[in-house]
Amino acid sequence: MLDVGRHPNIELLAYSEVEKVEGEAGNFKVTIRRKARYVDEDKCTGCGACAEKCPTVVSDAFNEGLGERRAIYSYFAQGIPSTHTIDADHCRQLNGKKCGICAKTCQADAINFDQEDRILELDVAGIIIAAGYDVFDPSLIPEYRYREIANVVTAIEFERLLSASGPTGGHMDRPSDRAVEAEIAGLEKKAKKSQKAISKLEEKFNEPSAQFYKKYQAGEYKDDEDRKKWADKYTAHLAVTEPLEELKKQAEGFTVAKRLAFIQCVGSRDFRFYPFCSGYCCMHSIKEAIISHEHEPETTSSIFGMDIRAVGKGFEEYKIRGGNNSNITYVRSRVAEITEGPDNNPVVIYEDTRERKVKRQEFDMVVLATACAPIKGIAELAKTLGVELDKYNFIKTSSLSPVDSTTPGIFVCGCAESPMDVPESVAQASSAAERAAETSFQTDLEKEKAVA
Amino acid sequence: MSKDILVIGGGIAGMQSSLDLADMGIKVHLVEKLPSIGGKMAQLDKTFPTNDCAI
Ligand SMILES: Cc1cc2nc3c(=O)[nH]c(=O)nc-3n(C[C@H](O)[C@H](O)[C@H](O)COP(=O)(O)OP(=O)(O)OC[C@H]3O[C@@H](n4cnc5c(N)ncnc54)[C@H](O)[C@@H]3O)c2cc1C
Ligand code: SF4
Ligand code: SF4
Repeated sequence: MLDVGRHPNIELLAYSEVEKVEGEAGNFKVTIRRKARYVDEDKCTGCGACAEKCPTVVSDAFNEGLGERRAIYSYFAQGIPSTHTIDADHCRQLNGKKCGICAKTCQADAINFDQEDRILELDVAGIIIAAGYDVFDPSLIPEYRYREIANVVTAIEFERLLSASGPTGGHMDRPSDRAVEAEIAGLEKKAKKSQKAISKLEEKFNEPSAQFYKKYQAGEYKDDEDRKKWADKYTAHLAVTEPLEELKKQAEGFTVAKRLAFIQCVGSRDFRFYPFCSGYCCMHSIKEAIISHEHEPETTSSIFGMDIRAVGKGFEEYKIRGGNNSNITYVRSRVAEITEGPDNNPVVIYEDTRERKVKRQEFDMVVLATACAPIKGIAELAKTLGVELDKYNFIKTSSLSPVDSTTPGIFVCGCAESPMDVPESVAQASSAAERAAETSFQTDLEKEKAVA
Repeated sequence: MSKDILVIGGGIAGMQSSLDLADMGIKVHLVEKLPSIGGKMAQLDKTFPTNDCAI
């Protein structure tokens, strides 16, 4: 990633989109919109002082909504370019409210609320589409109760939980437990405030609130206005501290998730959604189970699927190693439903297709191996570029020219073409580069011919 | 006529094709929709089958 940012032959146009393409192979005219970041890329040092002070909290898409960021943010810590960006949908200043705290904080004078989108025109010989994929939305399968049961997560969310730079610092904290901890933090803040208010009164009347309150309830201090206020404040305080103590007691029992279930083919090999195999999901479930076991040796994982497709160099060995060394059980099965048991534990109800029996098993957390879906904007992008899509909405190619789109001079690689893993994406990327280079050199030859 | 190449998308596929072209001496314009390049791979903790760090 760093090499891309530094290479003298690469002009990096991040936070930008292609708006218009005209012309043909060897001679395309492209219009690009560079979206306003409201931060000057050249001035911003990426220090992050602005984000520390920004009061606007937004759900963090890079962490799949499991963490938070501010309205001014860096997409992720090691992101290239390292500049910060203001999220115009959420920033107070850009939505007509008073703020500008980031501009006051920034030592580099990088913030510019007047920045506008810029339009850039480019002449290019060829185009490579590498727009990738989207994660299938599992809430389309209601029987898995994604979003209804907190501890049912997608594999990409699980990647963020595993990551040392993620929202849990790499601990397998369960979403339901994290929600309770967030509630505790909120109530503690409130309790601090209400405690302050009653402390003052305790000092004034030289008596602990609890003792006073007993007498007050017994009917003492009938017409005493000040004491009535004290009683009101104390009831308000109790309304915070009582549930707080309850939650704290509950939180004492929290441990990291150690019993994991992985459910394969969520949206893939499913005629209701995508009939194809997404290719990489068997392997990423095994990977996530192995890493979880590295983090916490007591972890056991069950991988529920029709079969395990470990087709790639070293993949079958990886699968077997996982089974032998990382407490992974491969369960040949079809999962019918996920329900919620006690302690927010998801329960997997499945048919064991070896024994032909319906079984149920409780877990700490369930991870859904979601399908590789075409990106949301693919139809517009294909229209802009004038290329055809296949029946699933990936860029159409043919088996004998797997990186050529239906339009000469436009090539494709990675998951924009079809589901594939990283090694395959890299191989296709090099092929697409080679095909594009031919177009580029062709242009060179034609230029020479024209001169001669 | 220009001999430059436009690459759309800065995930692993777009980054690799950009680098290959750039190393051949061809000028590349790499367009990424999000604030930074990296794509899905940047979100991964480690990658199979070697468990190398993703970034
Ligand atoms: C949970 C999970 C774990 C995985 N683990 C592994 C693993 O361990 N090993 C492995 O080999 N594979 C793994 N994979 C697969 C891997 O993510 C893909 O193979 C790889 O990311 C594909 O790269 P890509 O560049 O084609 O797409 P992406 O990574 O999706 O990159 C596409 C880029 O294009 C940008 N873009 C989209 N639309 C536009 C547009 N209109 N204009 C400009 N830019 C645009 C996107 O913002 C993105 O940056 C995993 C997948 C998942 C879901
Ligand atoms: S905008 Fe300013 S304060 Fe924010 S990261 Fe950039 S240099 Fe630092
Ligand atoms: S103006 Fe305020 S809300 Fe907007 S990014 Fe700056 S600090 Fe955040």
